[in-house]
Amino acid sequence: MTEATHGTGDEQLAAVGHEASITAGQALLSGLRQPLVAILLLIALCSAITGKPLDGFLMAVVATLLVWDAARSRLSHPGGAAYSSAPGYTAVSGSQGRAYGAGRRRRVLAGIAGLATAGLYASVVGSFSRFSWPATIAVVTVGCLMIAIGWQGPLRRREPLTGRPRRRAWLWGVLLIAGGTSELSSLLQQPHLTTDSYAHPTISALTDPLLASHPGRSVALAGWLLIGSFVVGR
Amino acid sequence: MSSRDLTIVGYLSVLAAGIALQVAALRMPERLPSLGRVFTHVMRTRTGRVGVCVAWAWIGLHFFAR
Repeated sequence: MTEATHGTGDEQLAAVGHEASITAGQALLSGLRQPLVAILLLIALCSAITGKPLDGFLMAVVATLLVWDAARSRLSHPGGAAYSSAPGYTAVSGSQGRAYGAGRRRRVLAGIAGLATAGLYASVVGSFSRFSWPATIAVVTVGCLMIAIGWQGPLRRREPLTGRPRRRAWLWGVLLIAGGTSELSSLLQQPHLTTDSYAHPTISALTDPLLASHPGRSVALAGWLLIGSFVVGR
Repeated sequence: MSSRDLTIVGYLSVLAAGIALQVAALRMPERLPSLGRVFTHVMRTRTGRVGVCVAWAWIGLHFFAR
């Protein structure tokens, strides 16, 4: 760690009234300890060994960026919380969600433009063969764009989940685990990781007939974009 | 019922349970969280936001990319 970094950290500590200080190594470790980083690295490894090196590379890149961002955050705020640098409900102040203050008409027009663009994208990219380079480039571009948008913070202010609904959020967790377990069970019962099983089909195997045609791929891509806009708008 | 049928019924059951939970949450927002509210909650930190966005991107990569 450099003297300059120490100096910056000390100034921050003085400002917030804490006396703790951390080294660059400790900051890096705090980033590596995030469960999501471990999950992403595990996905990267599994993707690579199942013949999807690009998936693996992108997951590893995101994991690295998360570690770097968390370490930077820890060095900037050594006495603060481990890592919560994204603006949350309270950080998006007043009128301030980026789209929150826009007029209704503007939002409607933006929505129509977005739908038209998504429709065009789904139609054009759906015409490409699955796993071809044009399809790969198109999907990677939109995926990276959405992750970059998500990285910035919420697009609009939303009510926090509190009280009884918050205590029952585990119900969705149970569904996620049930779905994931079913998929994993089918995957592990395949004759090989890259060879489908008729008796125990994965979701990918079941959707293959749908994605074999241009209209099917376009519909699936439109659904993927719709879910993406739902997610990134949270 | 064959193993294949059982596997498909398993997936459909999870999907049906999700739809039922979402409908119930929309009808009783004071008692159950909708999927959107759970996403908002999970995505209140940068790690959560990036995690969900990456999961979404991975689905597209898995089904369409090399």
